[in-house]
Amino acid sequence: MTMRVEYHPVLGNLENQRRITIYFDDQAYQAYEGDTIASAMMAEGVKTLRYHEVSGKGRGVYCNIGHCFECRVRVNEENIVRACLTPVSEGMRIHSLS
Amino acid sequence: MSDLLIIGAGPAGLSAAIAAAEKGLSVTVIDEFPKAGGRLLGQLHQEPNGEWWNGIQKGEQLSQRARQLGVTIQCEVSVYDISQSKNGWDVYTTKGEYKAEKLLLATGATESPIPVKGWTLPGVMTIGAAQIMGNVHRVKPGNSCIIIGANVLSMAIANELKLCGVNVKEIIIPKADITSNEAGNPEQVLSSLMRLTHLAPTPILRQLGKIGKLVHPKIAIKLFPRKGIRMFDIPLRLKNAALEIVGDRFATGVRTANIKANGEIDHTSEKVVDADFVCIAGGLTPLSELASIIGCSFKYIPELGGHVPVHNEQMQTNIPGLYVAGNITGIESAKVAMAQGRVAGLAIAADIMNDWEQMETSINKAIENVNITRDKALIQFHPGISDARKKFYQKSEVDLTQISKIKKREA
Amino acid sequence: MAVISDDDKIICRCEEVSLGTIKDIVHHFHCSSREVKLRTRAGMGYCGGRICRTIIEKVVQDINNEKVSNESQLSYRPPIRPVTFGQLGGSGNDDES
Repeated sequence: MTMRVEYHPVLGNLENQRRITIYFDDQAYQAYEGDTIASAMMAEGVKTLRYHEVSGKGRGVYCNIGHCFECRVRVNEENIVRACLTPVSEGMRIHSLS
Repeated sequence: MSDLLIIGAGPAGLSAAIAAAEKGLSVTVIDEFPKAGGRLLGQLHQEPNGEWWNGIQKGEQLSQRARQLGVTIQCEVSVYDISQSKNGWDVYTTKGEYKAEKLLLATGATESPIPVKGWTLPGVMTIGAAQIMGNVHRVKPGNSCIIIGANVLSMAIANELKLCGVNVKEIIIPKADITSNEAGNPEQVLSSLMRLTHLAPTPILRQLGKIGKLVHPKIAIKLFPRKGIRMFDIPLRLKNAALEIVGDRFATGVRTANIKANGEIDHTSEKVVDADFVCIAGGLTPLSELASIIGCSFKYIPELGGHVPVHNEQMQTNIPGLYVAGNITGIESAKVAMAQGRVAGLAIAADIMNDWEQMETSINKAIENVNITRDKALIQFHPGISDARKKFYQKSEVDLTQISKIKKREA
Repeated sequence: MAVISDDDKIICRCEEVSLGTIKDIVHHFHCSSREVKLRTRAGMGYCGGRICRTIIEKVVQDINNEKVSNESQLSYRPPIRPVTFGQLGGSGNDDES
């Protein structure tokens, strides 16, 4: 089930979005070009992006503009990035942190 | 090396870039977010004449105009440190070092938290996060939501979420405690909503503003219906408090209870209201961490949203060569931020060209425009903004500059 | 019906410091927000205190019966964003760890 806002009474409709494939914890998901990792995962209904390093409790998008660092994930085996500020790219491999 | 580096590609930063570039300065603008536009990107509300204020379009127009003038805009750049050098500023970022003679901080605001029990669960986010998700990324964080925190921002965004197809079940207030300030007191919440201008962005707020002129909040909150009043068909329930966000792996609802006018909880009325996601709307506070590490002086002004870097009407801080504009100087609407940006851009141009006298008229006109825009603003985050600003600028400790000398000569 | 206690609610999300812990420290040591930070790690996590600092200051001021001062006790220190050795060397990759 997608959570995309395809139709909008004021902003117009989403048309001709280019679809790309990304991987979150080794599972494939469809994303739109122009998505951030955070928006792509939220569109797919994935809310938990990380587990707290001590308590192990789940965390997801909180501020969505890079202030809180709650949505940090590992990309392509090396970089830790904020999901809310990082655009997706074809074949991107994203891993939750714990 | 640019003449001017601007940190923040929102309404203030882009407007400053345009004004400065029009005067021939070389300008670079950097921003953390993947798209330029800042807080404009999420904004969408109807003006009293029925026209929509479409922040995405506005942001695109500004960045397009800036680029036409030769401004370099670079996104996905995060600043982690700044130092002052002999020739200006060294700014250290995740994409390397930037050098500029003058520096403008237009970093905007950050959302104040309301730490409700359970607020770390996935599916709990700030109201601004949901706004960006819906309007910019065009993704709903869920099909239904509850908003905790009743203020002008949450009420405007509630309608935006509804336009995205979200069922906004209710706007309630946080339980009163040591962390919630006046946001948890029904009478004070209603009182602040009633003090809003007759130009407020929604009919119901305008209505409350009218009532506010006739009835004392103490009486109004007694009359306020327990089931709430409807705004865009969304119930605004000031006599219901959020006690706890519930859910196992992610948020599934909010435990609420009826409260009295003073915030006292009726625990017999507790119930859980289901929702796919929960928004926390604690209001905005200036994001001034960069001014802080540079060593600016600060002043605490509640009307402006908290601690603001000391600056004068020309947007100069007490550090030579460092300017501020937009919400870092106090929480106001995007239109005010744009007007302030223009002042900063012109003042920096005058500073660089060392020609205050020739620029005097245009700078004063731009300052006048800030005041006019402020008085006409639809979204006034605090009723005391204008007076607080006037007092602040009269007392401003930034009077060592040439611009201020001009002002004094006039006086 | 049992009244839910709020003392176990989290104030600092990064370090998972509860309201109760902060209140206890302030009551016990009659201390400043800066000292609270050093004793509990509240506000010292990944976000640099950006999210919770105003709440910590509010709680401390409330308990100590102080007014808000112009200069914040919880000053920001560089780097205000997590950076890597790579970035410090100017390689310019995106790592924020």
